[in-house]
Amino acid sequence: MSGQSAEVYRIDWVPGSDLLHGVCHCGAEHLASDPIAMWEWMLAHPLGHEGSQGIQGSSQQSSTEISPQITAGESSSDGRHA
Amino acid sequence: MAAFAKNQWYVAAYSDEIGRELLGRTILGEPIVFYRAEGDGAVVALADRCVHRRFPLSESRLDGDTIVCGYHGFTYDTTGACVYVPGQKRIPRTARVGAYPVVEQDTLVWVWIGDAEPADAKTIPRAPHLGDPAWTTVRGMEPIDADYGLLVDNLLDLSHETYLHGGYIGTPEVAETPISTEVDEGAAIVRVSRHMDDAACPPFYAKSTGIEGRISRWQDIEYFAPCLYLLHSRIVPVGAPPPGPDGEDSHAFHTEITYAITPSAEGKVYDFWAVSRDFAVDDEEVTEFLHAFNHKVVMQDVDALNLLQKVLADEPEGYQELSINIDTGGLAARRILARLAG
Ligand code: FES
Ligand SMILES: [Fe+2]
Ligand SMILES: [Zn+2]
Repeated sequence: MSGQSAEVYRIDWVPGSDLLHGVCHCGAEHLASDPIAMWEWMLAHPLGHEGSQGIQGSSQQSSTEISPQITAGESSSDGRHA
Repeated sequence: MAAFAKNQWYVAAYSDEIGRELLGRTILGEPIVFYRAEGDGAVVALADRCVHRRFPLSESRLDGDTIVCGYHGFTYDTTGACVYVPGQKRIPRTARVGAYPVVEQDTLVWVWIGDAEPADAKTIPRAPHLGDPAWTTVRGMEPIDADYGLLVDNLLDLSHETYLHGGYIGTPEVAETPISTEVDEGAAIVRVSRHMDDAACPPFYAKSTGIEGRISRWQDIEYFAPCLYLLHSRIVPVGAPPPGPDGEDSHAFHTEITYAITPSAEGKVYDFWAVSRDFAVDDEEVTEFLHAFNHKVVMQDVDALNLLQKVLADEPEGYQELSINIDTGGLAARRILARLAG
C-alpha cells in the first residue's frame, strides 16, 4: 500500500456553519462557501496562498478563530460535467 | 464520461470465483478469460479472443492447463502461446493471445491493465479483513450499466444514505453531519470522515449488533483511486467511550465495507461489494441477514445508477451540475481519476 505522500490537502466542513475550511499542503488556510471554489483555491497553490492567514507552523488556532477572506459570491458552484 | 485510468491494478474477481471453469470478464474494454492452473493453482488471465476468428475463449474448454478454442480448436497454454492448430504442423509465430499480470491478495484477484510494466504488487492497496478469520464477510458483485464515475460519486458521498437508503442504512443524521475530506495527491487517496455522535440506529446495525437505542456512528472512507474503496464503520451505544489511546476499541462494533470499482466498458462497471464484521462472527443468522439486507441496499444503488445513466445519456454535452459541501470528496476523487487517466 502506498504510504502518505507529501502533498496532502484537507477540507473541513465547519460544524454549525455552511463554510468549508481548507488547509493546503503548504499550510495556507482558506474559507470558502462551496467545494468548487475551495478546490480552485487549493489547486492554484502557491498562487494566492501567501495572503492567507494562519499559516506555516503556527496553525494552532481552531478554524473558528481564523478570519481569512470568504470567497465572494456563489458564481462558481455550478460545474460543467465533461 | 469518466475516462479510463490505464496502467493500474484492478479487481477482476473474487478468488473463489476462479477455478477450473473458464470465466470471462471485460475490464476497461478488454475482454479477458480467467482460470486457475492445475499445477500451482495460479490464476491465469488471457485475452479472451482467439487469434484465428476471434471466438471467445471463455466460451471454450480447458484441456489440462490449455484452452482449446470452441470453434476450430486453436489451443493456448498459460502464457497465451498457441501450441496447436488443426491440420498442420507449422504454428504461425503470431499465434498468441496476450497474458495479463495477476496478483491474488486478500481474496481478491487483481489484474494489471495497460501497456506499461506492471507497478510493483506492493503498491496494490490492502483489504486484510477480507481474508482474516477474525472477521466474517458477506459479499457479492453487481454489474451496473453506468459510467464507473457515477459509482465513485455515489460511494464518496454517503449523504445519499439518508434518502436512497432511508429505513435501511440511512438515518437523518448522515446527511446532516458535516464531513472532513483529506486528499493525498501523491498516493491518490481520498479520505472522507463523518462522525455522528448521537444518531438513530438504522436496521442494518440494530439487527446485526442488537443495539436498541441511539448510537455513535463513525464513517471513515478511504478511497484508493482508481479501484479500491474502504468504509471503516464504528458503532457504539451513545455515550460509550472513544477508542483508547493505544487504539484499544474492543467495546465497539466494527464493520469494514469494501467496494472494488472496476470499469468494464464504456457506461458499464462491476460493483464488487463486501461487508466484513468483527462481532457475532459465528452467528449464521447475522450473516444471512447482512447478506440479504446489504444486497437490497446495493440494488437500490444499482437501480438508481442505471436510471441516472439513462437520463444522462439523453442530456446535451456539457450538462450543468450543482455541487455543495457534501460533494467535496467526490470532486476530489473525480479530479484524481482525471489525472490518472492522463
Ligand atoms: S476462432 Fe478459434 S480456432 Fe477458429
Ligand atoms: Fe448507496
Ligand atoms: Zn499552498
